[in-house]
Amino acid sequence: MLHWMSEPIPSEDLIDRVAHGDRSALAKLFEAESGRLVAIAQRLLRRRDLAEEAVQEVFLRLWGKAESFDKTKGTARGWLTVSVRNRALNMLRDGARIDYEDTEKLAELGDRAADARAAFEALSIKDSLKHCLSALDEKKREAVLLCYVTGLNHGEAAATMRVPLGTMKSWIKRGVAALQECLS
Amino acid sequence: MTQAELERVGEYVLGLLEGPDAEAFERQLAQSPELAAAVDRLRRHLHALDDTAMPLPANPELWARIDAGLGAGATVVPSTRLPPPDNDNHNSWMRFAGLAASVLVALGVGYLAGSTTGAQRAPVMVAVLLSEDAMQPGAIVEAFADDSVRLMPLDRFEVPEGRVLEVWTLPDPATGPVSLGTFSNPQTINLAGPDLPPPMSGQLYEITLEPAGGSPTGRPTGPILVKGFAKAPL
Repeated sequence: MLHWMSEPIPSEDLIDRVAHGDRSALAKLFEAESGRLVAIAQRLLRRRDLAEEAVQEVFLRLWGKAESFDKTKGTARGWLTVSVRNRALNMLRDGARIDYEDTEKLAELGDRAADARAAFEALSIKDSLKHCLSALDEKKREAVLLCYVTGLNHGEAAATMRVPLGTMKSWIKRGVAALQECLS
Repeated sequence: MTQAELERVGEYVLGLLEGPDAEAFERQLAQSPELAAAVDRLRRHLHALDDTAMPLPANPELWARIDAGLGAGATVVPSTRLPPPDNDNHNSWMRFAGLAASVLVALGVGYLAGSTTGAQRAPVMVAVLLSEDAMQPGAIVEAFADDSVRLMPLDRFEVPEGRVLEVWTLPDPATGPVSLGTFSNPQTINLAGPDLPPPMSGQLYEITLEPAGGSPTGRPTGPILVKGFAKAPL
């Protein structure tokens, strides 16, 4: 029986091999997952170099602690996504390391609302997330998307949507609670 | 779950709990399987939003940095760094490059006027991609000095189930076409693009239909939907 040489190996198996010190498995995992992860980080960090830095740190940490991945709790892709998102958000919140020009920053904020909407529009209509986000009222949906897709915090989201901080906090609280109720 | 718990789970997954708040919530998570399950559930749903980010090609330089950071041991080269040496499509790209002069696309002035205002970046090169059959404009490509590309579809491309649209350019006929990224929705997208020489006048851009995940060979394999040649804006 012939085996197709380039058949992809599931990422879960690759992480298993990485945990046993298999360096080529880490390279294969990089090949399969890094392009998506850099894109996700870049949507949060806006800069390609910082996005790559986030992904680099996640892969380096993975090399040391791949055994902490528990495949009974989810997919490798989901685990890597959470790791990269967390790393990127920490870099964002740590702001001192990221210098954007002021004018650039204003333009970036405008872009972010468009990015957040584009991500929502790109969801499949068959996806229950699309259905449940659509069920939220528009302001709450936009607030939730701004924070998740582009990594804004309460204050930045409030500035982007030009509402008081307290209003933003309450939109997000009610929005994410209603979202979970709809999804369950 | 109480309303307050739902709100807390949501804020945590959205990345809005910081410092002591996040630590306190994580301690709660470790104690409560119900709460942990709610976090996992919401994360799984929201990953559909992460999946809408347009994947970039794996960057070999990034891998080199990671590989160097792993410490002693043999250096590993991911296999996709070695594209197949040749295929049939390669030759047709060479022919297109030869035709470049005859199909150079002129640009409407109004479009450029709109894109040079404010803090927006100015493209180094612009190409209008024309459909293969009717020679109708199907997309506009703006190429920037930092290798990134902005693609604005003008036509709704028909994408059959299980296929994606892949954007290519030909910086150098000798090395062949290079993928700039894939997309499936007809919306304006920004592609970061691989590390390439600065875009040149007459450089070919095209969009092909490829299997989901992009061309398996690293070269265009599917039908060409639209193509055009770059020209520098005035």
